[in-house]
Amino acid sequence: VTPTPEVARSRSRRRCVCAEASLVAIGLLTLVAGGVASAIEYEWDLPRGFPPPRVPEDNPMTIEKIVLGRLLFYDTRLSGNQTQACASCHRQEQAFTDGLDRAVGSTGEVHPRSSMTLTNVAYGPTLAWANPLLRDLETQALVPMFGEEPVELGLAGREGELLDRLAAHRRYQRLFVEAFPQDADPFTIANIVRAIGSFVRTLISGNTSYDRFVFGTGTLSSSAINGGRLFFSERLECFHCHGGFNFTGSIVFEGQRFDEILFENTGLYNLDGAGAYPIPNRGLFEITRKPEDMGRFKPPTLRNIELTAPYMHDGSIATLEDVLDHYAAGGRTIHQDPFAGVGSENPYKSIFVVGFRLSEQERADVIDFLKSLTDLEFVSNPAFSDPFEPVTCPGDCDDSGSVTVEELVRGIQMALGGSPLALCLSFDPNADGEVDVVELVGGVRAALDGCA
Amino acid sequence: MLSQLTRAVHRCTPLLPVIGLVFAFAARAQFPPGFDPNGYCVGDADGNASVTVDELVTAVDNALGGCGFVPVTLDFRAMVGPEAFACGNIYRDIGTSSVDVIPSDFRLYLHHVRLVTSDGVEVRLQLNQDGMWQHRDLALLDFEDRTPPCNQGNSPRNTSVRGMAPPGDYRGVRFVLGVPFALNHENAAIAPSPLNLTSMFWSWQAGYKFLRFDEALDQVRVHVGSTGCEYDGGNEIARCARPNRGEIHLTDFDPATDTIIADLAALFADSDLEVNHPDTPPGCMSDPGDSDCGPLLQNLGVNFANGLPDPSRQRFFRVEHPE
Repeated sequence: VTPTPEVARSRSRRRCVCAEASLVAIGLLTLVAGGVASAIEYEWDLPRGFPPPRVPEDNPMTIEKIVLGRLLFYDTRLSGNQTQACASCHRQEQAFTDGLDRAVGSTGEVHPRSSMTLTNVAYGPTLAWANPLLRDLETQALVPMFGEEPVELGLAGREGELLDRLAAHRRYQRLFVEAFPQDADPFTIANIVRAIGSFVRTLISGNTSYDRFVFGTGTLSSSAINGGRLFFSERLECFHCHGGFNFTGSIVFEGQRFDEILFENTGLYNLDGAGAYPIPNRGLFEITRKPEDMGRFKPPTLRNIELTAPYMHDGSIATLEDVLDHYAAGGRTIHQDPFAGVGSENPYKSIFVVGFRLSEQERADVIDFLKSLTDLEFVSNPAFSDPFEPVTCPGDCDDSGSVTVEELVRGIQMALGGSPLALCLSFDPNADGEVDVVELVGGVRAALDGCA
Repeated sequence: MLSQLTRAVHRCTPLLPVIGLVFAFAARAQFPPGFDPNGYCVGDADGNASVTVDELVTAVDNALGGCGFVPVTLDFRAMVGPEAFACGNIYRDIGTSSVDVIPSDFRLYLHHVRLVTSDGVEVRLQLNQDGMWQHRDLALLDFEDRTPPCNQGNSPRNTSVRGMAPPGDYRGVRFVLGVPFALNHENAAIAPSPLNLTSMFWSWQAGYKFLRFDEALDQVRVHVGSTGCEYDGGNEIARCARPNRGEIHLTDFDPATDTIIADLAALFADSDLEVNHPDTPPGCMSDPGDSDCGPLLQNLGVNFANGLPDPSRQRFFRVEHPE
């Protein structure tokens, strides 16, 4: 197989008005590349202080893949019985968690663990709560799709049905070709996970009152500032496992020489006095079977932590206050069976979970600090929202609330087939993969009359 | 000049032996060209340090006739004791507590198939690359046909392994149950058939299910695969604590006439299916902490204590002679 040269053009998402010159350029580049159609390279718009995420070499970020991935992420066609999508357990308003202590799959099977936030998941060197083998989003996606222990999306053995179902959909017919123009048949499992991985990799959150305070563009309450001091102190030790720009010690990004992979036991359980955690939630031990890996889980990012209750791998702590009390006690003591035990005496506990005492005010300060890590733009960003919501303003490609002339031109180019549909799904309210005259007129009307 | 001639002969040789040679050289390239991996002069069949005209004529014959390899088909049949396997059938008296079992899936991978001569020499069976059931030296045996309750499968079945071997007096067969390490940890999303069946994916363990047996009432499940896998410093899986690949040795076997039986009743013969190890799924998911796996893995040619091959106690496969 000869590798196809990647002809990538750098264009910002918002500035992407396909003028004639650009089209000519695309044509020329296509000729240069030997007839391989090119895709629009995604340009990261990263928060200040954030390095670029590492992207797998075989899945470069393009606008077309991200748009397709967003649809797939929200599409219930992606479960065996068509009742669930990725988004069922990863809801934007809850920072892509589901509010449950333990997730429930498409067949009703309860997952042993709680749905993880997808906040900044692009920076995860390992994915899921405690699996050192899942190293990129494309591989990870295979677990909820095809896993049977437990059943999540319930697609094992049903890949043919899934691909047929997607290929029968007219909008997908266009979007898969746009996203994977070099493939004779773009409807493959590999392309599905590439697209979903690309979309999920864009779920970057770094616009919080904490960030604005750090970069001098906003203020924090004195309580949150004091809470931050406590958070970063050797007295509380939080920052050892929840440090860095993403508030986790488990981090990878482009250019980093050594992946920082971290799993820690925080003394949540100690069933037998020898450190045991409840089956099948024994953390890294479930994979490695090494005694020292008992109860070791990945420290999740604390960004948007206010929105992701209940907490811990099994959702066993309801509130942030209770989480803080758990760490203050240096571990959790449970008196009642079946999980009775003194977690603080767990022999595999992290050396940083030593316990501390806080005054009422200090406790409130730390909570205020944690709440300053909430990114409201992230949970309301239309680019991350459900694309199956009815189109309220045809032609409003950037969800700005109005349709500009540039957007109308883009709609015309899409109608003529000269521009990817992925650039503006809102010109295709009937989701048939074509921009027709009625849809164009809808855009013109919205441009003239304003969005309803 | 001789080496040129040898090379020319090699160029003309059909693909499979060439691949074999290339692999052999890749693995043990301590001798210069002109010598085979064992240090023998290439073309010197009788080992007298010279290549005679007769030997050259033989080599040219091989070049023209594909080395005289002959097709060999290993026939398999799935059974449950005396009865033929079929999805949804009720099989009685299974295991030590004689329970009823209704199969809902039954598939397995095998690789490294060797025929054994009457002298006890192993000869590799070069598998036909059919683009469907066989890939490199791996084959999938698929005994289910999607008849309910086998809802996770597909209608085609595959009950044989097809390949090429030199003509010989073969009296036995050996193979490994499972996916070879070199294929087990590749990217499943882009893997070729038969490694692209999602119901055989075992992504959370970064590999494949080597064998799966499922039961309609979920009284027992057997999903065998490597566990405890870990990365090297980079992006490759370097090792698995428990490979769980079964080594199978069958004797008194004539590939021309005999059939290899994969017998589920024998697999469960030492298991009490009414008792399940606490806090584990019914049956065995290759969990080293699940004692239910002990007799099952043993019967599949694996030592449960360490996940390493142990052909001495397997009883899942056996040879059946024609009546």
